[in-house]
Amino acid sequence: MKLAEQLKKKVVSRAVRNVKRGSAEEESNRGMYRPEIRLDLQRSRFFTESYKETEGQTMVVRRAKALASLLAKMDIFIRDHERIVGYQTSDINGIFHPIDQNWKSPARLVNSEAGSSLLDEAGKKELDELCAYWAGKSMSDRHQAAIPQSLKKYWTYEGTFLWTQLSELGIPDYERLFETGLKGRIQAAKDKLAEIDETIPVDYLEQKDFLEAVIISLEAVIHFGKRYSTLAETMAGEEKDPKRRSELEEISRICAWVPENPPRTLLEAFQFFYFIHLVRYMEYSTLGIGIRIDKIFGPFYERDLAEGRLNREEALEIMQLLWVKFNELGLVYSPTVSSVYGGVASLQAVTIGGTDKDGNDVTNDLTYLALEAAKNLHLIEPSIALRLHEGTPDKLYSNALDVIKTGVGYPSLFNDESLLPLIEKWGVPPVDARDYAVTGCVYIEIPGKNVMRRAVGYFVLAKCLWWALHQGVNPKTGEQHGARTADPSTFTSWEDLLDAYAEQVAFFTNKMEQLDRINLELIEKYCPRPFYSAIVEGCIESGKEARKWVYPSMIHSFAIVIGGINVADSITAVRKVVFEDKRVSLPELIEMMDKNWEGHEDIRQACINAPKYGNDDDYADSIARIVLCRGEEAMETIRDRYGLPHRGDGSAVSATYGLAYDTPATPDGRLDGDFFSDSTLAPSPGQDKEGPTAVLNSCAKIKSIETYNHLLNQKFPPRFLEEDTKPAFMAYLKTWKELNVPHLQLNIVDKETLVSAQEYPEEYSDLIVRVAGFSAYFVDLSKGLQDHIIARTEQSLA
Amino acid sequence: MISAQDREVPKGLVFNIQKFSVHDGPGIRTTVFLKGCPLSCRWCANPESQSSEPQLMIRDLKCTGCGACASVCTEKAISFKEGGKRHINWQRCNQCFACVDMCLFGALTVVGKLMTPVDIVEEVAKDRIFYRNSGGGVTFSGGEPLAQAQFLQEVMALLKQDGFHITLDTTGFAPPAALDRILPLVDLVLLDIKHLETAQHVKLTGVDNRIIQENARRITDRVQTWFRMPLMAGINDDADHVSRVAGLARDLGVEKISFLPYHEGGISKWPQIGKIRPDFEGRAPDEDHMAALTELVSRNGLQVGIRI
Ligand code: SF4
Ligand code: SF4
Repeated sequence: MKLAEQLKKKVVSRAVRNVKRGSAEEESNRGMYRPEIRLDLQRSRFFTESYKETEGQTMVVRRAKALASLLAKMDIFIRDHERIVGYQTSDINGIFHPIDQNWKSPARLVNSEAGSSLLDEAGKKELDELCAYWAGKSMSDRHQAAIPQSLKKYWTYEGTFLWTQLSELGIPDYERLFETGLKGRIQAAKDKLAEIDETIPVDYLEQKDFLEAVIISLEAVIHFGKRYSTLAETMAGEEKDPKRRSELEEISRICAWVPENPPRTLLEAFQFFYFIHLVRYMEYSTLGIGIRIDKIFGPFYERDLAEGRLNREEALEIMQLLWVKFNELGLVYSPTVSSVYGGVASLQAVTIGGTDKDGNDVTNDLTYLALEAAKNLHLIEPSIALRLHEGTPDKLYSNALDVIKTGVGYPSLFNDESLLPLIEKWGVPPVDARDYAVTGCVYIEIPGKNVMRRAVGYFVLAKCLWWALHQGVNPKTGEQHGARTADPSTFTSWEDLLDAYAEQVAFFTNKMEQLDRINLELIEKYCPRPFYSAIVEGCIESGKEARKWVYPSMIHSFAIVIGGINVADSITAVRKVVFEDKRVSLPELIEMMDKNWEGHEDIRQACINAPKYGNDDDYADSIARIVLCRGEEAMETIRDRYGLPHRGDGSAVSATYGLAYDTPATPDGRLDGDFFSDSTLAPSPGQDKEGPTAVLNSCAKIKSIETYNHLLNQKFPPRFLEEDTKPAFMAYLKTWKELNVPHLQLNIVDKETLVSAQEYPEEYSDLIVRVAGFSAYFVDLSKGLQDHIIARTEQSLA
Repeated sequence: MISAQDREVPKGLVFNIQKFSVHDGPGIRTTVFLKGCPLSCRWCANPESQSSEPQLMIRDLKCTGCGACASVCTEKAISFKEGGKRHINWQRCNQCFACVDMCLFGALTVVGKLMTPVDIVEEVAKDRIFYRNSGGGVTFSGGEPLAQAQFLQEVMALLKQDGFHITLDTTGFAPPAALDRILPLVDLVLLDIKHLETAQHVKLTGVDNRIIQENARRITDRVQTWFRMPLMAGINDDADHVSRVAGLARDLGVEKISFLPYHEGGISKWPQIGKIRPDFEGRAPDEDHMAALTELVSRNGLQVGIRI
């Protein structure tokens, strides 16, 4: 435990503070990052230098050389507590921004109040120079230049969806990499080159360039490891403390061996993994991890134990060192994006539990070590995704609960029996489906496959309903922004409203897809990823860069849907208040809503008192099921560039708060700008009045297989998990499982604690809360977002 | 008012159905609180459970002062102070509940709802899967559930048929005949033991405890029983008294004693139903003493729990 306490002090949080709420400023004077955080320009500098030198070469080669140049030139260092090394920046407090993707966000940020502490004057000057090079060349610029005039208004965030350029996932094929080392992948690329020299395929030149780029980037990563080896050796020579000296010598040995060669020990495997994880970020910054940490590392640990190289205590120690490394990653987001990422650093989650491809439980001692490390360190990342299935041992439930009890917000629980059929419905073969992992929030991916799942954007379903009530016309400007759906005065039932809503969902999904279609075409052309291609299955083998194809039958693009439960409750209220009780006509209701209910509190209360989802009341729950299902069907009518349907996803992050700002009042009685239900399965704030069992019963009526991978947040006071009631709580979880609800994450905190932390933030710097699919330091959240979390119904204990 | 006709269909007067109860017997339970109690414990945390009639219950926090309620009150029991919340003159109120329907904001409610046995079973059955996984079931509490023995018998019989685990949480203050009807349907009794001294018991609860002690034997002879003991510092928490309770428990074959340390949770409810809380200065025993008492009970070979 002592070590964990010391280690925690080494962590510099890179969590982003939400400085915007949708289109509005919010507490931007606090700064978007903690004051010690610096924008590190080395990636931008060396990428730019390299780009200038490689003008005229093919893009895939240029990208490989840019990465190689960065890895060869950036400043490296080893901190005195480290046994696993590697940093994404040249400074321990650094974060980087991929300038090749977008230069405007960092430029704007460092010149604003929210980001003024990120760079000094010299840095700002250098950034200006770098930006000048990227003007017209960054992916964002290319995208803006390419989209037709008619589509431009959808590119700007207006409240219905926030299209995001930079969000991509993917889990490397660590199993294979650990078998062959990167040298094995280089050999595979060389073999393929030799093969195409014989066969001369029609795209010979393209394949050749790609394979050469693969080799350049893999060699660069090996070289990067060797730089650390040399550094460690030099440091060892100067080190007085014999213990530290031998650690440095160990680092030197390990980094000389991996990632070139297959790892032989747990520590080597960790180091190998971390280099890959890091470089994956540096090549093209993305989110998540997703590695099935127990499945991948368990065998190394067991071998070390068996051969006497390691004991459990040391294993825990190096696991904790790895945990700290995860907290060294962070990203620069644009201020608007901060409104959906309030409190996020890099949304990394590791997966534990679940089954192997044959369906056998994978739990091993390393599963428990991961939980212990998480419990000892109590950090916001990585979040742990725990896969539960029929064969999950009780001990794993129990140990997971012990971590959950600390209030850290994870492990977050994933229900295999609910999710596997869904993943199979997406077209994934059962063997691969059984290997699924969670990269961050509830993003589901198949390790090692070239799935490139992408969160296309944040999609506000409640705003689509609002458009449906206004025929797609903005009442303030008279502009036709959404689809021209039927006139609500002609509606004779709630189903008519549902039809119009579904039409709006399809309309806006299509706009989002059109934006993304151009983006992906540009990415294929201007932003290939030779390194990433080399570490997933099938790219080297087919001679095709990751962008040019996808693992067949995996869903590709998804939108993070928010406000769906508010749509359901709204439609229920319309059914009850307008069509059944006939208190008002629909046009009257719309008029009242548009005045934010002013002067019509009676009708608003009637809408609030209409049945609400989350109380195990079939009236409301059956409509919720239909509404969520229709929304998803509407999305799926839109296909992406690979011909795969768009789908929803429950990873709401803090968007249920941030983006709700731009949705006016809705028929569920919600006021203009008020936040939405905090996750795709959660009842609206304060509307679940029948307690947690009723919530689960309601959730069970929404079928994953008819919709998507959901997220469910619940908040319980800590006394719930005391020894006395723990068995009952375990039974609650087992029932959650049996009810086939796909997901559950638990905030274990008293309302009083949160209120007091709002008042005395200094005393609660360590307080962690679960926001949506991630955990965050409470003090990093804006007051409004804190209120959103406080407002979640605390499931009371009788 | 409840009409005689309503009484003929055996309906129960229920003041709360609490799902996900984990402190009223084993596992996850639904606790059905029946309204009406022959005792009037000075520390009562559920004052709305005492009367066996439905009652007006107000929630001032929710009142917007809109005035709608006053317009229907024939007794002129509702008034307003300058721009503020409505004020109820409880002397005038005849509990007609006309005002309740007028209030859109939930600031006026009726506590106490008549329900048929079938209503209860339907509600309870919703969480069946939770009971199965946790070894839980349904608990009848109060008030004093045995005060509605006929209804209780009917609803329990239905639940029994459906295989639910049934717990009865009782003060033990009931006619033996009522117990004879109910006990065969019950799987576990939670029997409240407040004080073993009759004089003290009368002073604290308003009733004689000798009938409770006699019933204790009747109950423990037939059904698995746990004692529940509200603990108040300086009133019933001295080691001597607790040790006598433990002795009684052992003699009667009781398995477990649950301590319920005093809390002030229900204080705000008294004015909500227009009642004045009796003078009572309660305090929970401190942690050390709780630990000592817990230890004492264990030493008697009994299980012991706090709040559970
Ligand atoms: S319940 Fe009481 S206050 Fe309400 S209308 Fe009847 S008499 Fe008046
Ligand atoms: S109707 Fe309700 S909100 Fe209005 S004054 Fe009466 S109690 Fe208050």
